[in-house]
Amino acid sequence: MMGFSLALTPTNLLFGLIGAVLGTAVGVLPGLGPAATISLLLPLSYAIGNPITSIIMLAGIYYGAMYGGSTTSILLNIPGEAASVVTCIDGYQMAKKGRAGAALGMAAIGSFIAGTVGVIGLTFVAPPLSAFALKFGPPEYFSLTILGLMLATYLSGKSILKGMIMAVLGLLLATVGMDPVTGNTRYTFGLLILEDGFDFLTLGMGLFGIGEILSTLEGKLKAELATTKITNLWPTLKDWTISKWSVIRGSGIGFFVGLLPGGGAVIASLLAYAVEKRVSKEPQKFGQGALEGVAAPESANNAAASASFIPMLTLGIPGNPAIAMIFAALLIQGVTPGPLLLREHPDLFWGVIASMYIGNVLLLVLNLPLVGLWVQMLKVPYSILAPVIVLICSIGVYSMKNDVSDVMMMVIFGVVGYVLRKLQFELGPLLLAFVLGRILERSLRQALLISRGDVSIFFTRPISAAFLAVVALMILASIGMVLYKRRKANPSP
Amino acid sequence: MRRWERWTAAFLIFLGVGAAALAFRMGFGGLRHPGPGFFPFWLSAILAFLSFIYLFPNLGSHGSAGSLWQKGAWVRPSLAAIVMFGYTALMGELGFFSSTFLLFLSWLTFIEREKWKTIGLVSLLGTFCFYLVFGVFLKVPLPMGILF
Repeated sequence: MMGFSLALTPTNLLFGLIGAVLGTAVGVLPGLGPAATISLLLPLSYAIGNPITSIIMLAGIYYGAMYGGSTTSILLNIPGEAASVVTCIDGYQMAKKGRAGAALGMAAIGSFIAGTVGVIGLTFVAPPLSAFALKFGPPEYFSLTILGLMLATYLSGKSILKGMIMAVLGLLLATVGMDPVTGNTRYTFGLLILEDGFDFLTLGMGLFGIGEILSTLEGKLKAELATTKITNLWPTLKDWTISKWSVIRGSGIGFFVGLLPGGGAVIASLLAYAVEKRVSKEPQKFGQGALEGVAAPESANNAAASASFIPMLTLGIPGNPAIAMIFAALLIQGVTPGPLLLREHPDLFWGVIASMYIGNVLLLVLNLPLVGLWVQMLKVPYSILAPVIVLICSIGVYSMKNDVSDVMMMVIFGVVGYVLRKLQFELGPLLLAFVLGRILERSLRQALLISRGDVSIFFTRPISAAFLAVVALMILASIGMVLYKRRKANPSP
Repeated sequence: MRRWERWTAAFLIFLGVGAAALAFRMGFGGLRHPGPGFFPFWLSAILAFLSFIYLFPNLGSHGSAGSLWQKGAWVRPSLAAIVMFGYTALMGELGFFSSTFLLFLSWLTFIEREKWKTIGLVSLLGTFCFYLVFGVFLKVPLPMGILF
């Protein structure tokens, strides 16, 4: 009840609402996913000052962006973010057949139900997990962070090797600046601007905001609205009968996948779609405008979005780039997410959870009537939107320290992000590793000091050993998979 | 393996080795008392090792010349990068208002090749709206230059 009393204060309610609406508005725009949306709107949260209000707004932006992604998938056949890719398949077909309203309505209601299921799970799973994590010392934290990064690279893209390279690069970037223990400078090359290290916001906005714009500029975004008139948003009884189990299955899959670092909404939606097709009595309907093909992935990605708060709030391990942005925002506000969060900041912990219940209701109540407005927004040409986004990023980064060189750094990271995308490297592991870099280094050095240089401390403490065993299994499994694929491609005579 | 993948792997190996050498000079310390270069050294070594694995299976093969960009696809992103670097360079000198106007103007002219009427209208209105929202209403201390 403490959470609700906080989340329902007029200020928090207002900022939760602003976050949800802004998140949806930016999430609707093609080419900007939740991570880019949060990075664009992060400076607004700094202006608020109060960490509780700030994270309530950021959480609203996150699930608002997740919700907004489905609108472009259904109406334009362009996913607003990666987790809505599968929604395009049947959603756009439904829109072309004049059922855009039913698809949008089911996406919204499915998202609401799944989001609420996710938050209920969060309410009950987070406190015991937090209590368990209190037993962790530096060795356990080191191993857990390695496991989180490994899972993130394992699940984030096609090449685990490339994901690992990105994670190491992210960790290396985090070492630039002053050494937290000795105060010596590292990799600064005498440049004053590098002495404080790279700023998370500069890196995030560059890689995800500017980088995405540069990638989008490669091709003209040509998209036609399947329909401009949206009617009958509320699903019929028949629609409900068809898709109720899809929503339930999608919610369950989304919640469990969302718990895994690196899993998140993208894998949840893909998995939910695949399961739905497998269990359907009429799998041939999928791809032709099946309502279940919209309900299941949209439910899954929203349940995953809520569940992905669990590892961040309880273990201090952000599972995906968007959550990493929220994690960094909390650190900047002086709050360290992790097992002590529930003990030290119960108001923040329960306030955020309560705000998510409220936010889900707000999104449902507000967004269905606002669909017409989002459709109008989609008509603004990208040629105008792109410089506007560049300006918002620039002002956001500049306003942190009133320093133009930060804006220059953001543009450099934008170009780096674009090139890395071209080279088919996943940026998620880089950003996650950058956020976790300092925690990893601190726990490694503390563990070595405690053990007087004995590295067996990581393998002799049971929890740490268990985490590292999972890491070893994952590495072995990925090596086995590569060898199997190679043998299959070149069968020996 | 395409040629650009080999170049990428080679660059990453170079980066890893270079960063490891720098880290070693920072002060490696030891397992009992890790120095400031301890963590970056191991990271750099792992980066070089992983990049070598990325390169290794195809060391003997000839790289195919598959291009990263389809014909001319690099032009607009490159122009955009130049415009953004120019914007950042001018922001401190000319101030927010003038440099933002130039950003809109150059973006819509060189990258999007919009009609003159659109360019003029969007550049003026866009700049004015941004100044009004961020500079006047939100009171963000925007850079002041020759103009404002």
